[in-house]
Amino acid sequence: MLHYDFMQRAFCAGGIIALMASALGVYLLLRRQALMADMLSHVSLAGVAAGACLGFNPTIAGFIAAVIGAIAVEVVRRAYKTYSELSVAIIMVGGLSVAMILMSLNKTMNKSFSSYLFGSVVAVTRTELIYMSAAAIVGTVFFLFLRRPLYLMAFDEESAKTSGVPVQWISLGFSIVTGMIVAASMPIVGVLLVSSLIILPAALSIRIATSFTSAILAAMGIGLIGTGTGLTASYELNTPPGGTIALVLLLFLVSGLSLKKMFVWIGSKRASKAKAKPTNMEVANT
Amino acid sequence: MLLASLQDVSFGYGDVPCLEHATIEIHTGEFIAVTGPNGAAKSTLLKLALGLLKPWQGSAALSACNREGEKLTIGYVPQQIASFNSGFPSRVAEFVRSGLYGHRNWLGNLKPEEKEAADEAMRGTGTWELRDRRIGELSGGQKQRICIARSLAMSPDLYVLDEPTTGMDADSRIRFYSLMREQIDRFGRTVVIVTHNLSELESMLDRVVTLERREEGGWKCCTTTLCNGHFAPVESLR
Repeated sequence: MLHYDFMQRAFCAGGIIALMASALGVYLLLRRQALMADMLSHVSLAGVAAGACLGFNPTIAGFIAAVIGAIAVEVVRRAYKTYSELSVAIIMVGGLSVAMILMSLNKTMNKSFSSYLFGSVVAVTRTELIYMSAAAIVGTVFFLFLRRPLYLMAFDEESAKTSGVPVQWISLGFSIVTGMIVAASMPIVGVLLVSSLIILPAALSIRIATSFTSAILAAMGIGLIGTGTGLTASYELNTPPGGTIALVLLLFLVSGLSLKKMFVWIGSKRASKAKAKPTNMEVANT
Repeated sequence: MLLASLQDVSFGYGDVPCLEHATIEIHTGEFIAVTGPNGAAKSTLLKLALGLLKPWQGSAALSACNREGEKLTIGYVPQQIASFNSGFPSRVAEFVRSGLYGHRNWLGNLKPEEKEAADEAMRGTGTWELRDRRIGELSGGQKQRICIARSLAMSPDLYVLDEPTTGMDADSRIRFYSLMREQIDRFGRTVVIVTHNLSELESMLDRVVTLERREEGGWKCCTTTLCNGHFAPVESLR
């Protein structure tokens, strides 16, 4: 499998994106912005469609659209402070409707669009790999340098602000990095499943991890293994990579949560048994 | 030294005014309680003073520096902070230490004295035994206490605490009020607290700001200065 050039690129791109997307997912979940990745993927699709219509590189257009969408969501979020999820809904509707109209205008691009929608390992070109690497470098620098302010902001933006954190700028930067990572993930998992790569590893890691750093590292590990397994299964079974990766990550989540519940149940059983069993001292007394 | 002030400030949400012509001043070394019925805009008053909300009219000012000319540090405990996501993957010690991240420490490890300050804050609030627990596993009162420990770890110039004793038992509340009084008396810090239990801490306070309903609508500030002999000019503390 790995002697194919496209599979090497797919594993390389999948690995980079899995690491970035999973770390991003932890922050998105804790900031209650789980749907943001989904929304930005739809906006990015509108950019891809616009790029195709205007004869501009669709990948770059998708990147630019995702970044603009991320800035827009931040602006709308500030306008609707009490209903921050409204910003996601408004921009998602805008992105999807523009994408649909532009796609209907450009019928020659149907095949390529389906690879954007559902993901395709063949779709990963060398240029896209370079974009992904660039997004990964920006993301790594962002999360490494700002992990502490982001931790404070995940709890409460107002107290973070009074602690001297420039919340508005970091929030804007966070949205832009999210846009970049979402746009970079699209060739692998596709528009419709991009949030699976971001949300599912994070959803499992925050349930099993005991500290913030371990949650991020666990999410990255789960994302990496899930993507590798999904790509291998996709190659062997000839199934769409996006759907296969999402399904593998979903299985990881379900089995991980079940195992955790089982361990908790066994632990509580042991504890209650130990309580019920009389100690040597109690036996001697009786 | 004047740390924060509101001069003739009016504010509301949407088109509905909730606070009208409020004027207060917060000086270094004061212990101030803000009180009033539910919906009297007590939290709003604090947010206006901290610059988190912009007044419709009037002026709000927050000093940029403390008495030593360094950046003013604020330990703000909002009303809902203890209702954080119960699944948040963080331990109590990590959470309390995050108070030190602020504007001065985004990279690198915390210094030993900073770690000691966080440990001291946990001991002072009775949360030392909880330090290895996940924060989501704590009760409401315990969550409230770790939020206070976090702001204590910062050693801020100004504490702004919005109903910080919610969910705490009576003993913990009294210990907490004494701890705050000690912060003022020993270190010359300033404490502003929103509370409904005025009788419990009245003897420790310097001033009470009561929000009262105006006849023509909205709420106004009435300040009562108490003569408990606590308030001393900051200069004398040094």
